[in-house]
Amino acid sequence: MSAENTQPDLEDLNVIVSGQGGDGSLTVVNLLASVLRQNGMSVYTERDVLSRIKGGITAATLRAFSGERFTIGNHIDLLVAFDIDAVPKNRRQLNKNSIVLYDNSGGSLPDGILGDEIRAFGAPLSRQAVKTFRRDIYKNSISFGLIGRILGLPDDTMRVSFESRFKRMGPQIMKYNLDALTVGLGLADELGFVAGKGLYRIQEIERKPHMLITGNEAMAFGFSVAGGRFYAGYPITPSTDVMDWLIKWSPKFGGVVRQAEDELSAINMAIGSALTGTRTMVATCGPGLSLMQEGIGQLGMGEIPLVIVDAQRGGPSTGMPTKPEQSDLNLLVFGGHGDFPRIVLAPGNPEDCFYLTVDACNLSQRYQCPVFIASDQALSQNTATIDPLDLERVVIDQGKRLDADDVSKLDTYKRYLFTEDGVSPYTIPGTPDGMSLVTGNEHDEFGLVSTDPVNRVRMVDKRQMKMKTMLPELPRAGRFGDLESKIGIIGIGMTFGVILEALDTLADRGIDAQYFQPRTLWPMLDETIEFINGCDVVYVVDLNAEGQLAGLFVREGADASRIRKLLHYDGTPIRSDAVVEFVVNDQTQALGAEEVA
Amino acid sequence: MTKTFTPARPIWCAGCGDFGVQQALENAMKNLGIEPHETVVVAGIGCSGSLQNNVRCYGYHALHGRVLPTVTGAKLANTDLTVIGVGGDGDGYAIGGGHLMHTLKRNPSVTYIVMNNGTYGLTKGQASPTSPNGYGENIEEDLDPILLGMSIPGSTFLARGYTGQPAQLLELTTAALEHAENGRGFAFLEVLSPCVTYNDTYREWRTDVYDVEQDPDYDASDKVAAFTRLMALRDQGRLPIGLLYRGERPALEEAALNHDFPPLALQDIDPSKLMDKYQQALESFMR
Repeated sequence: MSAENTQPDLEDLNVIVSGQGGDGSLTVVNLLASVLRQNGMSVYTERDVLSRIKGGITAATLRAFSGERFTIGNHIDLLVAFDIDAVPKNRRQLNKNSIVLYDNSGGSLPDGILGDEIRAFGAPLSRQAVKTFRRDIYKNSISFGLIGRILGLPDDTMRVSFESRFKRMGPQIMKYNLDALTVGLGLADELGFVAGKGLYRIQEIERKPHMLITGNEAMAFGFSVAGGRFYAGYPITPSTDVMDWLIKWSPKFGGVVRQAEDELSAINMAIGSALTGTRTMVATCGPGLSLMQEGIGQLGMGEIPLVIVDAQRGGPSTGMPTKPEQSDLNLLVFGGHGDFPRIVLAPGNPEDCFYLTVDACNLSQRYQCPVFIASDQALSQNTATIDPLDLERVVIDQGKRLDADDVSKLDTYKRYLFTEDGVSPYTIPGTPDGMSLVTGNEHDEFGLVSTDPVNRVRMVDKRQMKMKTMLPELPRAGRFGDLESKIGIIGIGMTFGVILEALDTLADRGIDAQYFQPRTLWPMLDETIEFINGCDVVYVVDLNAEGQLAGLFVREGADASRIRKLLHYDGTPIRSDAVVEFVVNDQTQALGAEEVA
Repeated sequence: MTKTFTPARPIWCAGCGDFGVQQALENAMKNLGIEPHETVVVAGIGCSGSLQNNVRCYGYHALHGRVLPTVTGAKLANTDLTVIGVGGDGDGYAIGGGHLMHTLKRNPSVTYIVMNNGTYGLTKGQASPTSPNGYGENIEEDLDPILLGMSIPGSTFLARGYTGQPAQLLELTTAALEHAENGRGFAFLEVLSPCVTYNDTYREWRTDVYDVEQDPDYDASDKVAAFTRLMALRDQGRLPIGLLYRGERPALEEAALNHDFPPLALQDIDPSKLMDKYQQALESFMR
């Protein structure tokens, strides 16, 4: 590496660490993230894993940014490969400024894999680890010495971060890791990566307080602060972290988590809990959501409140369990037999996940229906830095709940009372004289089975009325970019950060667009359709093959001729350059067509 | 007093065993002083799954086969409630069969009464898991859920009653409710409850039943001996009734809940009440 003294400030850094599953790639990325966070950067990390415990090529990616980004960048600045196979696998993310550091214990990188422009450096990481510590795993701590020198981290900063990271694991492990770091610094010296001569000038900025959190954690936390006390689940990637977080924390708040024998049991345990007035949630993804469908219809018919998180992954069937996709949208909106009201919310970052889960808890009890949170693998599992959440913003609203006093003032209590707004007051078991029948059968106002046609129509209409009543209370869209622009972009979930970055790039390239982030997908809000029909063209970033998101808009009155679908379903997380390219190509064609006309 | 729903008249055929089950349940609740407004009856799908409409308490009509997860969730969410599951043999042993072993294993303090008539009455007489080989088109051996329960280490209360012996049925129902009320765990009571229309077994069952409570050598707390005896009786074509097994295991709600807090459903969930703990969780993300 050239030893120039004019290193740029670190503003945007993308590092991918890749190797065999179990190589400790994630540990390296987490360490680097914690150092860069302390230096004032916002960080975003992504995991690319396989559905197996060990082996296969996996990767962990880090972006450190001087502002705020909820996506990995388009190019990788540094690829760290513990396994040579990781180099060709990540080749397409490299450009001429990229650096590759690879473990050459098993031999050098074959010629021609990278071309001439990309600088690659081999170091015997594994061999040194085994030689010095008799444990291959120390190669990741060795690599950190090289990574830090390449980037320009002061040696002391690296040591301090090791001390805080390995403190909990005891003095022996701490010593080995610090020794491994020293071995790494020695290898760096051999390769000419000298202290103080790294790629970047890394300023020591005091970073204001912030959180590092995943979408799954934020949803679990939001549920808890909103008073959620019962969670039932069945382990399924990528939703399981919701359960894991709650197992650790919920008992401290007086709550409980049960791991059920399957998703049928999970949703019915949740129903049992919800019937008692307890705020209840389940989290799952495609296959589990399919199994829960009968229970979801029951929530609709019985008017039972429940929050259901769907961390969407590649489908159909078992699909690609660890890969992001948004192909459950039709299932979320239309799943289950019969007509019944439901709400589908769509957060775009961990902060949104927190507050929308709070909203979901309130809405589920106000409107006594299932409320879905449409997440995806990337939103659910990637970590991001966010400003500390404002817990004071959380307000509890349990809707038309009657206590014993309220009931005693009534002449008659009817669980499914016909009301103008479609919402019937409810009691919880234990309330004297508030006895009710809750049922999945069609029923009269008391909950007794009825097939009377007049009652049937009134009951269906009553339930459907809730979908109208709730409209003013549903979360509104996020609006970003040039709000006057007639070029719109729409996307949900993980595409939030991708589209925001694309807006900036497009603006740099002379295309001012605006991003409309629908946060309520169902019932469809007028604002969404009005937005689409008010634009000349709207690019819908749809992470599925059928254009499910765009399909919902068109079904609800959006002008299909204005919509261009960017369909992405290869299992990789979409990046902003794909959006930029799609928009630029379409705009160029449109211009060309105009000129011809 | 506020008026709520008027309990429905049963939809069952004249002579159906389920009348006897309902009567035993209502009387047992009365005898134990269980308050209707503190009781939730969760019913499955099938003829027996209408029982909750006929009694004065909180009622919930579950999905087919899902009585057990539902009662488990309800009990964990509010341990102050008396939670009773009722259903048929198709509901509990076929479509919901998987949940039975897990509920026995978990041992929540709820009562589960299965009205076993050995057929699918509501859909006109198809074989159920407890139909004997040769019933209609059935070519499969019948299932004995009590023996299944005996094989599960978490089981604490396994009993079988017969609607033809109402006095004993009342005693067993009372014992089952008491087991759950006292927090001893899952009280599983199967009741032989004949379907007069599609599987009228009154005559056979009157002679086939074998009341272990009349057998001085039967010890319901000795699992190995009881299991051996039940197997032998089965080979003789007999249907053992009475309290068949009773064990001691911690109840699910005892093990699962944080007892520093009131029941989940009764907690004041205003965020200000636990703000220090929420703040602690928030700070765990800031390190």
